[in-house]
Amino acid sequence: MIWLSLTILAPLGAGLTTLALRRMPEAIALTGAALGLAGAIALLAGVAGGADVTATLPFLPDLPIRLVANPLTATLALVVATVAAMVLTYAAGYMSHDPERPRFFGTMLMFVAAMQLLVLSGDWITLLAAWEMIGFASYLLIGFWHRRKGVPGAAMRAFLYTRTADLGLYLAAFLLIGIAGTSEISATLSTTGTPALIAGLLLLFAAMGKSAQVPMQDWLMRAMAGPTPVSALLHSATLVAAGAILLIRTAPMLPGGALLAIGIVGGATAVIAGLMALAATDLKRLLAASTASQYGLMLIAVGAGAPVAALLHLIAHAAIKSALFLGAGVFQHDRESTDLDTLAGAGRARPGIFAGFVLAALALAGLPPLAAFYSKDAILAAALDSPSAAWFLPLALAGSVLTGAYMGRALKVLWSGTPEKPRDKVPLMAVGMGVLVILAATLGFAFKPLEAMLGAHLAEPGWIVPAMGLAVGLAGLALGWLLAPARLLGPLLAPARNGFPLAGGMDALVVRPTLALARLCDRLDAWIIRRVVLGGIVAGTQALSRRIERAEDSLLALLNAVGRLNLSLGLASLRFDRDTIDRAIFGLVDRTIALGTRARRLQSGLIHREMALTVAGIALVTGVLLAAPFYF
Amino acid sequence: MIPELMIALSVGAALFGVGLYGALSQTNLVMIIMGVELILAAALLNLVAFWRYLHPDVTAAKMFVLIVMAVMAVEMAVGFGIAIARFRSRGSVEMEEARELRG
Amino acid sequence: MSLATALFLAFFGTAAIWFGVVVFRTHSMVRSAIALLFSQTAIGAMFLVMQAEFLGVLQIMMMATEMSVMAIFMVMFMMDPGGMGKMDMTHQKRLSLWAGGIGLVAALVVIWTAGWQGPVPDVPGADEQARLLGRELLGRSMFIFESAALMILTAMIAATMVAIAPQEKDSQ
Repeated sequence: MIWLSLTILAPLGAGLTTLALRRMPEAIALTGAALGLAGAIALLAGVAGGADVTATLPFLPDLPIRLVANPLTATLALVVATVAAMVLTYAAGYMSHDPERPRFFGTMLMFVAAMQLLVLSGDWITLLAAWEMIGFASYLLIGFWHRRKGVPGAAMRAFLYTRTADLGLYLAAFLLIGIAGTSEISATLSTTGTPALIAGLLLLFAAMGKSAQVPMQDWLMRAMAGPTPVSALLHSATLVAAGAILLIRTAPMLPGGALLAIGIVGGATAVIAGLMALAATDLKRLLAASTASQYGLMLIAVGAGAPVAALLHLIAHAAIKSALFLGAGVFQHDRESTDLDTLAGAGRARPGIFAGFVLAALALAGLPPLAAFYSKDAILAAALDSPSAAWFLPLALAGSVLTGAYMGRALKVLWSGTPEKPRDKVPLMAVGMGVLVILAATLGFAFKPLEAMLGAHLAEPGWIVPAMGLAVGLAGLALGWLLAPARLLGPLLAPARNGFPLAGGMDALVVRPTLALARLCDRLDAWIIRRVVLGGIVAGTQALSRRIERAEDSLLALLNAVGRLNLSLGLASLRFDRDTIDRAIFGLVDRTIALGTRARRLQSGLIHREMALTVAGIALVTGVLLAAPFYF
Repeated sequence: MIPELMIALSVGAALFGVGLYGALSQTNLVMIIMGVELILAAALLNLVAFWRYLHPDVTAAKMFVLIVMAVMAVEMAVGFGIAIARFRSRGSVEMEEARELRG
Repeated sequence: MSLATALFLAFFGTAAIWFGVVVFRTHSMVRSAIALLFSQTAIGAMFLVMQAEFLGVLQIMMMATEMSVMAIFMVMFMMDPGGMGKMDMTHQKRLSLWAGGIGLVAALVVIWTAGWQGPVPDVPGADEQARLLGRELLGRSMFIFESAALMILTAMIAATMVAIAPQEKDSQ
């Protein structure tokens, strides 16, 4: 359980830390990769020992996140972790002068985490999410040097191609979940009948996009615009492997019709992509086409009913192709370009690197005892034994021939030509590539134990199949070394160079209409914004300002009215004060004075008057007192 | 209904009326004093009549009479003192001319 | 309640009233004074009739002295003491008549409607009355007695003060 989480969380944590700190990106990245590798090794060890590790995390109701580590997924996890660790080591040297290293390493680590999640996922929802994440990471990494000409377009194209193909995966996933009632992958693999066929075809569609099968192989060519470590990690061993991984995992479910379709597509790709590789003028494009071709071979194996063979070839191819890409990166570092004409003789200048390159190339061609010998033989044996052998075997053989041919050509170009003294030592790059080359050479010996762990029994190749494989491999190498592509391909050279565009190719069929639609939507959006939003806003603002003006006027009028009211109130108050209050008060005063004046007349000073008044007063008081009984 | 009482009181009432008339109508201060004397005498008469015919055992009534007599004497004395002073300053004691306290 | 008392009272009362009226009707000042004297003496006689001997005697003695003094003063101050001029020396005659009349009538009304009743305790003899009065005077009514004395003293001083001619400041 710990190793499971470490495998995913170590790269994730390292990626986030790198993006956050932006300091010592190489150290953090390598630490994260190393920890992830350790986790994967431990995981595989645990699984090989018999433990079946699963983890369930609550997410949506009835749709939890499931992670499962069975022999298949643990093996794949180890492959991803190993290649990632080596490529990151290499990248520490390759990207040493790039100022945006933190972004690079951070994104690479995020990709590794997402890939591990995909590989270890146990339910469709997680797989879909991880699928999308690796597509997004691929977009970011291909477009890493986004200021260079053509790079953003390539990244966008890659994204669009794979995104279109992802529809197949979505539909297949929903179909399977709906039929099985649960999102757990292993549970859904028991689907049968027409739904399984439909699901299989949809999954094939998704795999075609992700693994750059015909007719969607063009994006991989263009993806070579990204840094070489990206090509080495994503576009040879991991991202493009996702399609094949998908088909390998769902192989138990796939009915015969789907398998046939898979095999046909794989076979067509093996041949067509091989021709494209042979005709390529750029080393990385050559290697990219080679990748598509090899995945075609893997799909043949799946179609032939031997997914384990495909798995073995996937593992071998991962090591081999990564090593080849890393070597190409070194030559690119020397000559500042990957154009084959420019790279002529670059191999001679660096013997060590070239030796590794040669070893990996021979491995790819299928020479024993190097890794791909065993896996290719397994594929050929499966193709031979399958019901559709008539289709599969010729295509597989042709693919193998072409493999040897273009590898031989590459070696020839790199060897012959004037070498220039290399400028600097590249220790990190050498180490990264070296480990992968060693793996490419020795992995073959691990295949038997692997088969046992996976619980699969591949048909014994006998001696015919190995002989066939060796023969076609050597023949191809010789052809490639000795003959120029123009001679080999003849009239096919030009179409092969251009990627066999049919009716304008994917470009005209899909890309251009999509981009045109996008531009139309953009114009519509702008129109809407201009007319509705801005116009509305402008009109609205004007109306609002007018209303505010009117409100202001009325407010002003109101204030004036209030002021006038206040004035009139004041005036009224004044008048009231003057007329009523003052009049009352002064009137009171006057009346009091008048009363006083009248009262004064009583004060005559004459005794007799006073006495008369006194008598009257006494009479009054006496009367009141005497009448008291009447009113009390 | 005690006839003697009635007679005495009626006499007192008549004296009171006469005295009042005199006090109010005379111009001379001395005549006014005379009128007041009559009024007081009437009061005395009433007091004695009441004492004799209603409460002969109450000696306080006689005290009252004595006090009223004292008042009569005092009033006459002071009144004549004022008359002297008035006569000295004005040359007559006619109350018609005594308007100094007017107002 | 004897007839004689009533008759005597009526007689002396009439005399008093008549003499009182004469006081104000005659033009001679001296005659006014003498008439007043007689009026007061009649009242004193009435006192005697009513068996208030001490008071009656007192009244007659006091009034005799007072009226004599008054006669002297009249002669001193009056314009026409003899009454030869026959001048009408009255003012507000009607008002005074009305006042006197109303006073008389009101008093009579009160007297005749009051309805005083007996029984009346016996009148003590003259000696007894004098003794009782003396007791009263120096016993219960001592305070009144003293106040009256004080009042008389004050009045004497006041009258003297008023009557004395004011000293002129620069008489020397």
